[in-house]
Amino acid sequence: MYEDGWIPTVCYQCKAECSILALVKNGIVQEVKGNPRARGKMCVKGMAGITSLYSKERLTHPMKRVGERGEGKFERISWDEAMEMMETKLRALHEKGEGHKFTYSMFPHSASDPKWRFVNAYGGFISTGLPHCDSGKIMAHLHTFGCFPNHHIAPMYFSVPKGGLMILSGRHPFGCMDDACVAKDILDAKERGAKLIVIDPIFRPEAAKADWWIPIKPGGDAAFFLGVCNYLLLNNLHNKEFCDKWVREGDMEKLLDYIADKSPEKMSAICEVPAADIIKLAKMVAEAPSACIDAFKSIMYGNAMDWGQVWSIFLVITGNLDNPGGQPLPELTPMAPVNPVPTPPNLKELGYHRTGPNREKFDHYNFILEPTWYAAQAIKEGNLKIFFATECNPALSEMGAAAWREAVSMKDDDGNYMLDFFMVSEILPSETMKWADLVLPDQTNYERWELLYMPWWYNYSHGASLCRPVVKPVGEARHTNNVIIELGKRMFPEFFAFKDDVEYYDIELGGVGMSIDKLMENGGLWSPGTVGFYKYKDKKKFDTPSGKIELDWNMYADINQQWPSPELPLEYRKEEDNFPFILINFRTIFLNNTGAWSHNNAQLRDPVSGLDSNPIMINPIDASRLDINEGDTVFLESTTGKVSSIVQLTEKIKPGCIGIIHGFGQTVGQVATMVSCFNDNELIADAGSHLDEQDLRGGEAHVSTRVTIYK
Amino acid sequence: MKQLSIMVDMDRCIGCKTCVVACRNHHNLVNHRSHMPGEIPFYIKVESQAEGTFPHLKEDFWVSPCKHCKTAPCATACESGAIRKDAQTGIVLIDKDKCTGAKKCIEKCPYNVIQFNAEKNYAHKCNMCYDRVVHGEEPVCVEICLTNALSFGEKEILKMQAQANGKEIIKAMSSQSIIYVKSSS
Repeated sequence: MYEDGWIPTVCYQCKAECSILALVKNGIVQEVKGNPRARGKMCVKGMAGITSLYSKERLTHPMKRVGERGEGKFERISWDEAMEMMETKLRALHEKGEGHKFTYSMFPHSASDPKWRFVNAYGGFISTGLPHCDSGKIMAHLHTFGCFPNHHIAPMYFSVPKGGLMILSGRHPFGCMDDACVAKDILDAKERGAKLIVIDPIFRPEAAKADWWIPIKPGGDAAFFLGVCNYLLLNNLHNKEFCDKWVREGDMEKLLDYIADKSPEKMSAICEVPAADIIKLAKMVAEAPSACIDAFKSIMYGNAMDWGQVWSIFLVITGNLDNPGGQPLPELTPMAPVNPVPTPPNLKELGYHRTGPNREKFDHYNFILEPTWYAAQAIKEGNLKIFFATECNPALSEMGAAAWREAVSMKDDDGNYMLDFFMVSEILPSETMKWADLVLPDQTNYERWELLYMPWWYNYSHGASLCRPVVKPVGEARHTNNVIIELGKRMFPEFFAFKDDVEYYDIELGGVGMSIDKLMENGGLWSPGTVGFYKYKDKKKFDTPSGKIELDWNMYADINQQWPSPELPLEYRKEEDNFPFILINFRTIFLNNTGAWSHNNAQLRDPVSGLDSNPIMINPIDASRLDINEGDTVFLESTTGKVSSIVQLTEKIKPGCIGIIHGFGQTVGQVATMVSCFNDNELIADAGSHLDEQDLRGGEAHVSTRVTIYK
Repeated sequence: MKQLSIMVDMDRCIGCKTCVVACRNHHNLVNHRSHMPGEIPFYIKVESQAEGTFPHLKEDFWVSPCKHCKTAPCATACESGAIRKDAQTGIVLIDKDKCTGAKKCIEKCPYNVIQFNAEKNYAHKCNMCYDRVVHGEEPVCVEICLTNALSFGEKEILKMQAQANGKEIIKAMSSQSIIYVKSSS
């Protein structure tokens, strides 16, 4: 099964899951690099994946909790006992008819990830990071042109023509979370004459490479692009032919009515970008052969749906849909179903957000997955009883970290935990496992099988790639997929009649005329070799109810939200006097956000090859006013939390903003705790207990806040 | 003059440090099991310089391996004859079997790129992946560079390529055998 040489497989140091080659010698992974038959690149996180694989801190055997939740005390148990614990708890809840009170927080590696299949068979829900990161964009694009792009559906930079505009709006793609080749593709496009425009309140490497950096007030993206759209439409600079043909009848007139007063001057007052610059960009867009927007942080604020809708309107009126250099409309790789396929429960009826006292508030929640930000509240309300978490770290990633800890530690009058059972599977110690009842040692991507064919990859042109075990697993580590498949065989054998994960993938691959063996012979990759453009022309429609592009979101007419608000996110429009700074919690290439494995990876926390500090960034103008100096220890405080760290004065941040890196705060593991770094989510209000601040259309829960800073 | 070289295109380097880790993996510099942050040897490092005040800012990133100096101070300083500039390639090489661990090379290196293995008592550094390049391969850092910011080849040819591509050679940084270029502004 194992062989030496350069073996094609897949990285999993982040969600991009780039195709790679691993050099195995004498059963040990020595080197790794991007697979030249895919897109050929691998980033620093991926390169450091070998350190995760062989770290002395790897979890190597199942453990059960022996102290209270939060103490992090465990004792070793057998796999038999671990399986028994899970099966007993799951059966008891299911037999009570409360399967919907089970949620699995994970990142599905494909639309038919075996873990997701189990959750569907059980009648529970998955609660991935998607609602944190993508729901604004996903819902906006689904509503408007019936497509499912999430933040990983970046513009295909390799397709941007000479003169095309690449607009990054609160996005740092050099961090390689779409694919490791993205930075190269952007720079290649620049070399052939495309323009890079970066809209961002902080000056990051993307801004350093940009033709034009536009510092903006955080959350001002909707206002900024409404100003751009206003100028394009009122000056007849939009793509009239495209709009006439593809936009639903009457919507353009309604759009013109709505946008008439969103002048560049008026929008400038909100986003703090000069009106002349808004007009300048509009004129550039009108003259460019293509324009695309890549956004991330800007779809993670409380006004994500507003911004997503403006973003969609911009793409539509400029005709930049499914064209070279525009917004791709991806399709799903046609894998064969593994029958019988379990039917998932009705999220709108049984989702944990729909079973508590707040259920009426969620009447307009349209997102396709459970809101992770409501999990803590659901536990408190008795609507979430069993929580599984794999490859994620909700103790750090949940907004309102303190409220999350309180919820998972909360007991009822009988002294039982409100959350009845909590399982965490991980490869390295995570913050979350401190609260777990059961900790399972997972396998890394170098030890396991996985079939990947998500539609949201940047690298659409290869439709499937195979992660295969290249070395023996350490200790007793088992791939969680196989653990869950075994649970499935015990509890729902009709849906788990296949032999194992490999046979499951074999059946699926039949849909594209492949098998695991053929895929391995094919270098671990299958691809139709083409991306495809203007697919809506072939179909003669968009996948919306009307078949046309729908700008007017009339499903929200009863709450008067069928058109976007230009205002800043609500979290930035309150308490301005007491908390005068806006927090910018950004990401870097050296962290898989809160992912436990990058925090306990010595190379990624090494000062030469990674990142070993999380200072509080402040512009010298602000610091001078507050008598704060470089290296001072200061407090950062929001309405709900307080942290302390060292100050870094930098010109690379807009005055009025405070910058910190998202993802730190792990207090478990020797590497992670070498340097004290705080978790930004200590400052963020718990989204579930502040529903009045949430976009309950299925948009984003806020991931930021206002803060004050003092010595 | 025979001189192999690496050319760093500062229009493309983003300071991602991918090369640092790939280099360590290839040269077996890291003990994945036990090394802690701050104690891992390295043959290449990333540097940067930002200029200006908000919002008029510029920032350059580049990598800094051994510069394979024309007249290598490390070789001159080494009293045991363990360091030589290879006549066929221009690469400065340390023979760890001859190294006595005197650390004179480390004291004299103007670029602070020489590492020391205290356990086995020898100095070591970037050898431009000598074992690869003499077999027609590129150095690892060049092959895996995330943004294709690095090029490898004969120094004079790289300089010609830079000029043909409209790149300016940053003379102050390119006085030895590693060339730094960026677009003329």
